[in-house]
Amino acid sequence: MMLLLVLLAAMVIVSLMLGAGEVTPGRALAVLAGHGDDEATFVVGSLRAPRTLIGIFVGISLGLAGALLQAVSRNPLAEPGLLGVSAGAAFAVGVALWLGASAATLRIAVGQVGALLGCLAVLSVVRLRGMGGDPVRLVLAGAAFSALLASLTSLLLLFDQRTADEIRFWVVGSLAGRRLEDLLAILPSLGLALGIIVVIARPLAALALGERVASGLGHHPGRVRLLVVLAVALMVGAATAVAGPIAFVGLVVPFAARALVGPDIRRALWICLLLGPLMVLAADIISRLVVAPSELPIGVLTALIGAPVLVAVVRARRLPTL
Amino acid sequence: MLHVTRHAAAMAGLTTLLTFSTAQAASVATAHGEVEVPDAPERVVTLHEGALDAALAVEVTPVGAVTTRGGDGVARYIEAYLEEETRPAIVGVVREVNLEAVLAERPDLILASPQLSDEQYRLLSKIAPTVVPEARKLAPDNWLHEARLFGEALGREEALEKAITRVEERAAAVAEAVEEAGVGGSANLVRWMPQGPLVMSDALFSSAMLAAAGLEVTDAGLVNQGGVHSDPLSLENLSRLEGDWLFLATLNEEGDQALKAARKSPAFARLPVVKSDRVVPVDGQLWTSASGPLAAQAILDDIEAALLP
Repeated sequence: MMLLLVLLAAMVIVSLMLGAGEVTPGRALAVLAGHGDDEATFVVGSLRAPRTLIGIFVGISLGLAGALLQAVSRNPLAEPGLLGVSAGAAFAVGVALWLGASAATLRIAVGQVGALLGCLAVLSVVRLRGMGGDPVRLVLAGAAFSALLASLTSLLLLFDQRTADEIRFWVVGSLAGRRLEDLLAILPSLGLALGIIVVIARPLAALALGERVASGLGHHPGRVRLLVVLAVALMVGAATAVAGPIAFVGLVVPFAARALVGPDIRRALWICLLLGPLMVLAADIISRLVVAPSELPIGVLTALIGAPVLVAVVRARRLPTL
Repeated sequence: MLHVTRHAAAMAGLTTLLTFSTAQAASVATAHGEVEVPDAPERVVTLHEGALDAALAVEVTPVGAVTTRGGDGVARYIEAYLEEETRPAIVGVVREVNLEAVLAERPDLILASPQLSDEQYRLLSKIAPTVVPEARKLAPDNWLHEARLFGEALGREEALEKAITRVEERAAAVAEAVEEAGVGGSANLVRWMPQGPLVMSDALFSSAMLAAAGLEVTDAGLVNQGGVHSDPLSLENLSRLEGDWLFLATLNEEGDQALKAARKSPAFARLPVVKSDRVVPVDGQLWTSASGPLAAQAILDDIEAALLP
């Protein structure tokens, strides 16, 4: 835990130090020490700091959402990107842009509604109850639904060039050019989601022992699941509205967390809180460096990191059941 | 599909007949070898914005054309050259031609883009002689080669040469006026995206027009050689745009609105060229998609209006 915290702090500093531009790590450090030149102060303060902060919150959201989805579906492959949650949010935001919306707060509300509907749609296809028995079915349903929504989103792009301009990079996910106002707009819903998580962490852990045990302990499994879906939609909708859909973070982070502290969701959630930002920041830093002076969307990199992990999980001889 | 093929075969037969019946068919050198074209084509379909431009420049109004990139119809600057009753039918978008719509226009000549796929060419050339310019590496004078080929195919070489001469004369006049007014210097051409800028290559058609008007166009070394434009530039590198003028192309209809959006980006607002108010919002349909003698005139109009108030 302490080690992760130190790593995250180091990653934040690296994120402020490195970029696609001409401001070198040395000049950036001078800014942090309080005596940087104008250009460096601007780049570090107005460009790198906001994306670093947003990266942290996006990482927290996706990491926690992944862990919650995996726990509630008892499926190690559940992930916002695979379950139609991100695709639902992305499609909803695309429709909003198409209709002319540009206010950050509106986008976030729309994204959250889209995420909620996407999540509910996929979960209802495979039915909330008893899908732990067949992890692949859930992922297939999610993949099919995501593909459907993605093609609808591209249909929108064909119709309207303005939307295409706005969405072109957003559909792969990126932290470049995001402003602090965007972050302020998502903070309330993240706070709400964290509140929900605090309340449901214990019942969710009990649910892992089985429905009967959980009911016996006085919890209401149905209510818990509903709250989980709500928290996931709040977080993924907000993260997607700000940064676009970023795949695989929600898969890899809980996976790594379980490898570190075992299957108890309460301990895993703490680890995800730190691992999520760590992974998003690392991917974002690489995305700035590999094709400078241009930028690669971060979604491309998380997919590069995440896809092999997904393959590894699926190929593992015994798929762990949660 | 079968339906189309049958029609195409029938049309091919018909065109062969037509070709033989025309007394002297000329032949032009295209990317797919020598192509026989009718002497005085009457029903021309253009599948390329540059071809539509060249045809209108020599006063041939096509019966069919494709939409401008990202739009629902022909580019806005083209509208001035169209009349309501002879307006070309839309037969597809640049990347996706509707073969049945082309067939329905019963063309006797098709002018296409250098990017036309071989498969599309095979189908189209069954409908009518199809003229495809050689695909070249991006260069400022590509449009001249294309326009000349289209002029030749239309049997109007002379009219096209005149149109080119008019462009050259106009550019020289603008360049002279710019020099006299002392407002010349360097210029960057950028397409603004909400997440940041795309720097356009200095080998683009509109860059060539800027250069002809006496501005020194640079891409600040940000565009890969041979590519059309760079990937979205990192905002951290925006300060490398050090030109005296910044031409800001957007595909949005209202350039002012795009400029407003750009100004909200702190990295953009602090550019010297923005502070000195030398940003010129321009129509991306014209500046980053079109080519041809008419587009050249329209771009020179824009340059004149921006630099010589």
